[in-house]
Amino acid sequence: MVGHRGARLARVITVVRALLALVLVAALAGCSAGSTAYSSPSADSITIGSTAPPANLDFTRTDGAAIPQALLDNVYQGLVRLDANGAIVPQLATVWTVSPDRRTYDFQLHPGVTFTDGEPFTADTVKFSIDRVRTDWTISLKSEMDVVDHVEAVSPTHARVVLKQPSNGWLFTMASRVGAMFAPNGVGDLATTPIGTGPYRLDRFNRGDSIVLTANPGYWGRKPAYARVVLKYFQDPTALNNALLSNGIDVISSVQAPDSLAQFASDERFTTIQGTTTAEVVLSFNNAKAPLNDKRVRQALTYGIDRKALLDTAWAGKGLLIGSMVPPSDPWYEDLSTVYPYDPAKARQLLADAGQQHLTLRLRIPNLPYAVDSAQVIRSQLAAIGVTVAIEELDFPAVWLKQVFTGHDFDMSIVAHVEARDIVTFGNPKYYWGYNNPTVTQLLAAADTGTPEQQIADMKQVARTINADAAADWLFLLPNLIVAKKGITGIPPNQVGEAFDLSALGRS
Amino acid sequence: MRNLVIGAVLVGLIVLAALVSFLWTPFDPTQVDAALRLQGPSGAHWLGTDRFGRDLVSQLMVGARTTLYVGVVAVGVAAVVGTPLGVSAAAGPRWLGEIVLRANDIVLAFPALLLAIMFGAAFGASTLTAMIAIGIATVPSFARLARATALQVLNTEYVLAARSAGRTGLAISVRHVLPNIAGLVIVQCSVSFGIAVLAEAALSYLGLGTQPPTPSWGRMLQESQELLAVQPRLLIVPGVAIAVAVLGFTLLGDGLRDRFDPRLEGRRAQG
Amino acid sequence: MALLRKAGVFLLTVAVASLVVFAFMAVLPGDPAQVALGVNATPELLAQTRHAFGIDRPLPVQYLDWIGGLFTGDFGRSYVTGDAIGPQLVDRFEVTLWLVGAATVVAVLVAVPLGTLAAAKHRKASGTVVSGLSQLGAAIPAFLAGIVLVEIFAVSLRILPSGGWTPPNADPVAFLKGLVLPALSLGLVQAAVLTRYVRSAVLDVLREDYLRTARAKGLKPTQALIRHGLRNASVPVVTVLGLQLATLLIGAVVVERVFVIPGLGSMLLDAVGSRDLIVVQDVVMVLVVAVLVVNLLVDVLYTVIDPRLRRAR
Repeated sequence: MVGHRGARLARVITVVRALLALVLVAALAGCSAGSTAYSSPSADSITIGSTAPPANLDFTRTDGAAIPQALLDNVYQGLVRLDANGAIVPQLATVWTVSPDRRTYDFQLHPGVTFTDGEPFTADTVKFSIDRVRTDWTISLKSEMDVVDHVEAVSPTHARVVLKQPSNGWLFTMASRVGAMFAPNGVGDLATTPIGTGPYRLDRFNRGDSIVLTANPGYWGRKPAYARVVLKYFQDPTALNNALLSNGIDVISSVQAPDSLAQFASDERFTTIQGTTTAEVVLSFNNAKAPLNDKRVRQALTYGIDRKALLDTAWAGKGLLIGSMVPPSDPWYEDLSTVYPYDPAKARQLLADAGQQHLTLRLRIPNLPYAVDSAQVIRSQLAAIGVTVAIEELDFPAVWLKQVFTGHDFDMSIVAHVEARDIVTFGNPKYYWGYNNPTVTQLLAAADTGTPEQQIADMKQVARTINADAAADWLFLLPNLIVAKKGITGIPPNQVGEAFDLSALGRS
Repeated sequence: MRNLVIGAVLVGLIVLAALVSFLWTPFDPTQVDAALRLQGPSGAHWLGTDRFGRDLVSQLMVGARTTLYVGVVAVGVAAVVGTPLGVSAAAGPRWLGEIVLRANDIVLAFPALLLAIMFGAAFGASTLTAMIAIGIATVPSFARLARATALQVLNTEYVLAARSAGRTGLAISVRHVLPNIAGLVIVQCSVSFGIAVLAEAALSYLGLGTQPPTPSWGRMLQESQELLAVQPRLLIVPGVAIAVAVLGFTLLGDGLRDRFDPRLEGRRAQG
Repeated sequence: MALLRKAGVFLLTVAVASLVVFAFMAVLPGDPAQVALGVNATPELLAQTRHAFGIDRPLPVQYLDWIGGLFTGDFGRSYVTGDAIGPQLVDRFEVTLWLVGAATVVAVLVAVPLGTLAAAKHRKASGTVVSGLSQLGAAIPAFLAGIVLVEIFAVSLRILPSGGWTPPNADPVAFLKGLVLPALSLGLVQAAVLTRYVRSAVLDVLREDYLRTARAKGLKPTQALIRHGLRNASVPVVTVLGLQLATLLIGAVVVERVFVIPGLGSMLLDAVGSRDLIVVQDVVMVLVVAVLVVNLLVDVLYTVIDPRLRRAR
């Protein structure tokens, strides 16, 4: 019997060995999965970590902040860009003039600029790129170019853009992704092969994991300090933090777990930066549907939420309290955050006036940290004024976009609106919060076509109106929380636009 | 015997916490209070508060409710569905046995987490989808156990005698099989309960289980991560709770098995 | 032959499982085209995309097309990215395989000696301690072990990376370093479970007569234990490893989250999150087939090791 067992066991061992060998061979011969390892920092390379990876590299057809943040001003460039203070400064255009009637813009273009596929950048390229927005782009931002009447290539280095009417906002949008310049033969595969004029070009796109950029050898401007930049994406804020703490990456471009900031502040290996963004965290109301079509109910909810306590609890007190859809970097900013002080008694009174003492509302939020955390606080605070809040977490972006943003199936939601100057969405009754106020729509149109002074006055009026109407509850402005290894310089403290300027980074 | 006692005590603790939570908790576990954030243990808050200012003891107690709820429903479904299936596979005609075995294999191919992810995607993640998914995934364990034990019982001389006396399969199952396998089914319940607790914790950690603001130990773990370096207490508390629950049920199952198994052996010797 | 019968049953089970997976995906609410195109899709574009995805065809046709594709290695194209799913699936599967394999190795390497020790010294303090520790270890979720290990070894001590993945042929050292913590998280918990089974099996062996016979023949106690005890212990070890595969897969999905490892688990979770239903369908099918294959292998191995079972069936 012992001998029998031995023979059988020997056979088993042979079988197992064979299987193991098979597996090993298959594994080694199989194609490499592509490294997602954290690259070791070197003198020439920098790894920047963030959350929310881009699905592809084509921001002409895919919404979301991740793609322009990676590519705008780094791979793609526009005629102008925003500097660290949010002012419009030259980029591919060296200087420009505006006609007295404010409808004609003449741009002098930088000579000797080529795209990474060798094509030259000329006034014809400007015409091609701007015309393309109307015909080939599908994201909603494309409507910013509707005000353009036509584009002329006066000479290879002189482009003229004629607008249908004066527009204060147009040049500003030219600094965003809508103003990016594309090569006529380089638009074949925008989702994976971006061709631009910027200081970097795409080396590798590991979808869902990282984007690797290397310095563009033919760049027309100053060479960037880092020849290689790895943008690494993490689904989990803690994994992002741990990667920096364990030396796997060099910078966290946006800390999504503010409570953990204390860890970095006390660690002498790192510097922490706290600036502002243009990302308003908005508790949106469905203005088009009962019971939130009643202004008293919306105001009651706004009085019933202690936004200071919410900020302290949900986002560790980091961030700015705002009263409307305007960040401090806009010229028409006014601090309206005190218009609705925390007043549960008044909230209850307003609800009683509206006949809604026992309200139940659906708070359908994306499953992002700031939304989930804020929702818990809101639920607790509104319970105190007799409002029952049912929280539903939806996958972001797929489900939230479909059900809340497109389908308008919600009572309340919480989302950070990142785009600059997105107060204009309140002039569109079809936008998901369904706010319909013709006065606001007119004011916004007048602000755009009026003089800069008129613009400021009108926009202030818009901000005050939507605040008075309680069209939404602006919970807070997301802070720009960046942590970087000591010795890395040039990180822009404030997020003023869609781009994250990698060429400004240096080392001390 | 020692296993049984320790297991029973641990399980008893959890059940007690859950039951008491229906009547009283020190604080409302969902009440957010910015001023009380991240406090250490104190006279009022015995285990301190989390980053929302919510009391940890209260969250533990109500979380125990969730854990037990999921375990009871999942294991209950599995036992109620799986045991009769297993018994009929053993007592009934051959083809029925084959079908049940094959169906078992198919269900076994879908681990609990996989089912929970699929259900969550289809119907939206919630405690209910988690319970049903875990329950379905646990059915094969009961079916297999019931069938194997039933086969043993059916082969005892006692039963063979009953058969030759003309008793029907159903009567035999009810009179002889069920009482004999009851003990082992209870053991399996206990063991599967432990597995269900772990599965629910994993699901809550992934965000696929109990939704906020209902307290859940798995989600407490997930929320504790970003503060791990500064407040490890937030990880230890739910971690220990989960370990105690799983340990308790597993020890209880082991202890019960020691009690029930020899008894069956004894019967067989008699038969 | 019994083997052929087993293979036949296996194929039948796979077929039925594929029907279950397909049927489940088919009844899911939501329109993949709508999700893929997003906010501004016109009805014509939606219809076009539905046609491109092939979801406007009758269900049986879609099912057969999908199954046929699987046999030829064509897993279809992602609804979200349009890329072929096959290559990514293979890469991810390889990663998960490494993770699960490494965890199993850790588990066996830890559990066999510890379990044997616990059995040999089961009346002494050391045996009880080991036994108690294994009970405790089995009660801890794998991701909790992972979180703690990361905090200690990656964040505090900084000797291992906190996550990420390097393929073995790219940089073997980095590969191993990145594999240690995740494999330990999964493997140690598995080891705890396995230890109890090994201990139980070895205890049974210690009581068996033939061990006494071996010792009477002149073998030293340790030798007898190793030569005969371990052989006997291999039966439950193999069985339990097979049974535990499902648990390992559960653990792997969550561990992949904690350690940012691009395996099948994270592929599945990402696809569910972005409503990329065809990817979900493919990944679920791969996981299910993997479990069934392992069950089959364990079955076969089992009958090879223990002849009694061959006759019983």
